[in-house]
Amino acid sequence: MNEATVMSDNKRAGLQKKPVRFRNERRFVFAFLTPVLLLFGVFAFLPIAWGLILSLFQYNPMSDHGRFVGVANYVRMFTDEVVLKSLWVTFKFVFITVISNLVITLLIAMAIQRVRVRWLKDFFRSVFFLPTIAPLAGTAIVWSTMFSYQNGLFNMILEQFHIAPVQWLSDPHYALLSVIIMTLWADIGYNIVLFMAGLDSIPDMYYEAAILDGANRWHLFRHVTLPLLSRSTLFVTITTVISYFQAFPQFQIMTKGEPFNETRVLALEIYDQAFSNSNMGYASALATLFLVIILVVTLLQMKWSRTQWEY
Amino acid sequence: MHRKNVWLDTTVTIMLVVAACIMLVPYLWMVLSSFKGNMDIMSGSSGFWPKHPSLDGYRTVLQDAPFGTWLLNSAVTSVIITAVTLFTSALAGYVFAKHQFRGKRIWFLLILGTMMIPFQVIMIPTYLITAKLGIVNNLSAIILPNLVSSYGVFLAKQFIEEIPNDLLEAARLDGAGELKLMVRIIAPLILPMLSALGIFTFMNAWNNYLWPLIVLNDTEKMTVPLALVYFNGTHIVNYNVVMSAAVLITIPVIIVFLIFQKQFVKGLTMTGMK
Repeated sequence: MNEATVMSDNKRAGLQKKPVRFRNERRFVFAFLTPVLLLFGVFAFLPIAWGLILSLFQYNPMSDHGRFVGVANYVRMFTDEVVLKSLWVTFKFVFITVISNLVITLLIAMAIQRVRVRWLKDFFRSVFFLPTIAPLAGTAIVWSTMFSYQNGLFNMILEQFHIAPVQWLSDPHYALLSVIIMTLWADIGYNIVLFMAGLDSIPDMYYEAAILDGANRWHLFRHVTLPLLSRSTLFVTITTVISYFQAFPQFQIMTKGEPFNETRVLALEIYDQAFSNSNMGYASALATLFLVIILVVTLLQMKWSRTQWEY
Repeated sequence: MHRKNVWLDTTVTIMLVVAACIMLVPYLWMVLSSFKGNMDIMSGSSGFWPKHPSLDGYRTVLQDAPFGTWLLNSAVTSVIITAVTLFTSALAGYVFAKHQFRGKRIWFLLILGTMMIPFQVIMIPTYLITAKLGIVNNLSAIILPNLVSSYGVFLAKQFIEEIPNDLLEAARLDGAGELKLMVRIIAPLILPMLSALGIFTFMNAWNNYLWPLIVLNDTEKMTVPLALVYFNGTHIVNYNVVMSAAVLITIPVIIVFLIFQKQFVKGLTMTGMK
């Protein structure tokens, strides 16, 4: 269908103007856009629609026929204690990790900006950025061994201070915290670089003017840096929130959602329902909920920050 | 005022040095653990430094595991994905920026809209589609769904719109076809954007874990991140083996990063890609 529309439209455009050249252009558009749109169709548009439809079925890939169950999957998930718990864990994880990430990255970015020596500045930026390029799956494994009860680094450090060792990944009090620490280590590089670019774009004269007016360091930060950085902050916040909602490898590798589902985020629950339990219909309903949450959170953030800008 | 600044600068630098050291600890841990002998690990309290340094871990990885195959799988899929994604993004961006056809706005909005969709939302149907195509457990299942990027199309369109139409018209009058125009004039002009997109596409393809986890089962077919995790499952007792594999996989990535880090950072600030 898409080929037909592309073609007919360009035919019309071609007839109105110089024929030969526009026939070439039209052929070009048709020949190259079709495969691209086809790929988008099969691997982006179709799955979205299919996912919505699938969420109304009870579907197991082993038995080929799905059974239509209407909104039963949606009703079920709001009474499913594991799902409700995973929603709570997801929000807790995203909230704590995003806030910590923003505070830490902004502080480090401002600190690095203060460094005058060029190579030292580059060195710091590289060191903080390094973890972001390593595969998260590998990082998660390295951190699992650091959190190990018997020979892990963290318990070695505690031992130095004569503190009893901790079951970092299997104690319900510490499991989520451990994953949060690892995630922060693995991911702060991006936002540091983005904040540094944002800080660079603030003209020096604003600071100079404020200093002439007798502003101290806190005033400068509160009334010059923060407001002029708000665009960067909005962008960084939205991308970080979206990416932390989707955090998956660290949970699947380090804790598998245990102990007592304390680290079972929604992304992991969707994967487990779909590919471990073969409940693809139910998992699709969860995925739809997931999509709605992300869209709502993003829209709220944008709306909230727009009202912030107005005054 | 001036003296206070010196003090503050020194404090800030020292704190950054401390923070940087903390950031590097996991790498040190990984490398040191890879040299630990089985004796160290079995005795239970192996300590930070390896007591009996040995290369057993590396030997096991290189002998017992199809290490070369994993690297090759990752390299082949990532290179193909990157090359094709750059091509399709630049092309679709050019068409959307400089050509007219019916439904242009709607197609573009649809493509933009997919940027908002988390992968978890489409992974189940995408798996069913690859199953229907009969390519599950095949490297093409990794490649095929990743040959287009909505973000790439969006970026390319933004950058190509900046190119003056007169330039394109002049080239057309000289008899250049659309494809030649694309390769000879547009591609060089958007090269910075393309290299940024290329770096991030390659990195995402190389590091991708969730999608290979869904569609690949054979040890021989696995890509690097997946293989590492699989290996972790089979060698959980001798973690020196797993750490050796992690070192062998991480070091090349770090070297590549150190060589291209300028482009990396520039690309990140230009595109904001994650």
